Amino acid sequence: MDRKKISKTDLSRWLDRIAETCDLIGPVKEEEVVQFRPVRSSAELTLDYANSLLPPKSLFFPPVEELFSYQKRGEEIKLEQTKPLEKDRVVVGIRKCDVESLSLLDRVFLEDLEDVSYKDRRDRTALIALACPTPPRSSCFCTSFGIDPLSPEGSDILLTDVGKDYLVDVATEKGRELVALADDLFTKLTDKKAKELQPPPVDMPELDLSELREKLEGLWEDDYWEKLSLPCLGCGICTYVCPTCHCFDIADVGSTSDGVRYRCWDSCMYKDFALMTSGVNPRPTKRERVRNRYFHKFSTFPSRYGTNYACVGCARCLVHCPGGVEITTVMEDILAKEGASDG
Amino acid sequence: MQDELREIVRKLLADGAIEYFIGYCQGSEPHRVFPCFVTEESEVEKLVLGPLCLQNLSKYVLQARDLGGKVGVLVKGCDTRAVVELIKQHQLERDKVVVVGVPCQGQVDPRKLEQALGVPLERVTGVEDAGDEFTVTVDGKARKVGKEQVLRDKCFFCKHPMSFEYDYTLGDVVPFIIDAEKSEYAAVEALEELPVEERRAFWRKQFERCIRCNACREACYGCYCTECLFDRKVPRWLDRPPLPEENEIYHLIRAVHLAGRCIDCGECERVCPVRIPLSRLYKKVQKDIAELFGYEAGMELDTVPPLVNFDLDDQDPFM
Repeated sequence: MDRKKISKTDLSRWLDRIAETCDLIGPVKEEEVVQFRPVRSSAELTLDYANSLLPPKSLFFPPVEELFSYQKRGEEIKLEQTKPLEKDRVVVGIRKCDVESLSLLDRVFLEDLEDVSYKDRRDRTALIALACPTPPRSSCFCTSFGIDPLSPEGSDILLTDVGKDYLVDVATEKGRELVALADDLFTKLTDKKAKELQPPPVDMPELDLSELREKLEGLWEDDYWEKLSLPCLGCGICTYVCPTCHCFDIADVGSTSDGVRYRCWDSCMYKDFALMTSGVNPRPTKRERVRNRYFHKFSTFPSRYGTNYACVGCARCLVHCPGGVEITTVMEDILAKEGASDG
Repeated sequence: MQDELREIVRKLLADGAIEYFIGYCQGSEPHRVFPCFVTEESEVEKLVLGPLCLQNLSKYVLQARDLGGKVGVLVKGCDTRAVVELIKQHQLERDKVVVVGVPCQGQVDPRKLEQALGVPLERVTGVEDAGDEFTVTVDGKARKVGKEQVLRDKCFFCKHPMSFEYDYTLGDVVPFIIDAEKSEYAAVEALEELPVEERRAFWRKQFERCIRCNACREACYGCYCTECLFDRKVPRWLDRPPLPEENEIYHLIRAVHLAGRCIDCGECERVCPVRIPLSRLYKKVQKDIAELFGYEAGMELDTVPPLVNFDLDDQDPFM
């Protein structure tokens, strides 16, 4: 892996050069909310930030996306597939938890059946990740899932803020091509020099999750879910701010003669989420819906896709839940349960 | 006051007077104070009071209606208006709920506090009321922050620092005086003065951000319909994708549905993850209802809400 450095002013110049040929996307602060947005110039970016409100999964699996439009004239029906991307994209400022979440979403959207729009967006997007500040936010817990917030894994380039400069780890061919756009702005570092600049590993309180899944699976019928669901308001915030949630709904908007088929985010916390045409709802109360969320993160998804977890410890759900349901507390509560029952 | 509350709740639970008590407890970090549901006497020590007890807990009374027994709920003066309205709107029977009123000297807006301190909230380990200011502990050191800097907007115009419909009260309050400098409708009036296109553009920009997480609806005490019209499949009143024009309809319909019922608790704006200034929209509805019908929701039990009433003297300026 190539290790280089670039000064903060030169970083802006480099990003601006990237923006000449690609769509540059990064964290932008508007009305006190940080969101990933396309920018015309690097000056619009906010790189000194904790994390975005909505996870950058929205760039690959948008909250609402047009799949195709239709037109019916007499007997003639015209379908037009919507092109996901016009230009190649470069996303700068993505955090490691969110990079990791993309590898989980890849399982959903690329394994077995390939989702064309997701694949196009993934293939045509380079990731310039930004290492987390030390100390990280107190609510973060990615290391509990074995994620190193300072690692370039999964991204094309990793930037680490080291004062006047950024340490630049170029991890992939895509990354090398981006650096080549302005090679003169980078200083190559020897291994020794790079190590000197490298910040120490992040110190985060870590939960021992080795027994989590087994304990959780024994709690299907436990009264715990009833009590946990009391403060839940049944809104969709936890799922919408979650970088690994990926449920969607399909909706046709328009008339019988002209319209658009959209895909938009859906949330398992909504009471009509599991409602069937027959009128039966297998998750009729908040108890089942809340239980489902934690089972999905720590048991169902992992067993379906062979991962360890489906949570990356970004803490967005914990920070934004209006009812105060905290996923870390839930994990602690589960771990504190005495052995697995037969449930 | 906190001890008094715990004692009341302990007794209510011991006597079997309530199924559970809805109050506040501390989350995993001191700056996060959340609703909690106390079912056991041993849990009453978790209950806390203070300027970070923000949520209007009245909403939670609704989910307890099917329990058979009663529930206890802690209400600040402002939240009492929700209890009053729920009774008036026949959603709650007064004798199904044990109301514990708590005096309040203003709540802290966490976003304003973060800005005033210039440090992330996670470094705040305590916020206490100290008359005209709050004593905030940051990194173990006490700092004074003026109330005018960090109060929630609605607290500047507080009409009820004390609960006014209760079974138990935790004492009286020494009213604090904050010079709000402007009227409670100032932000609405500023918008009203804009040309209609600019006003529309302002709201469109706000609603564009909406992700339709429904948090504003779910946090609202007044949204208790068994099936919300936004969720109805046939006919579809609102398209599911969060397109800007659909979002606009969503918020405007909600605002109109809350006309005469909105009690200005500010929960919709507080829970909005994308920070849409919803209070301003609902303040407009409150202003209209006040001007047209001279009515303020939730103020007393024995007045009839204007939109469920017909009066020959009603104004009809739009006819």
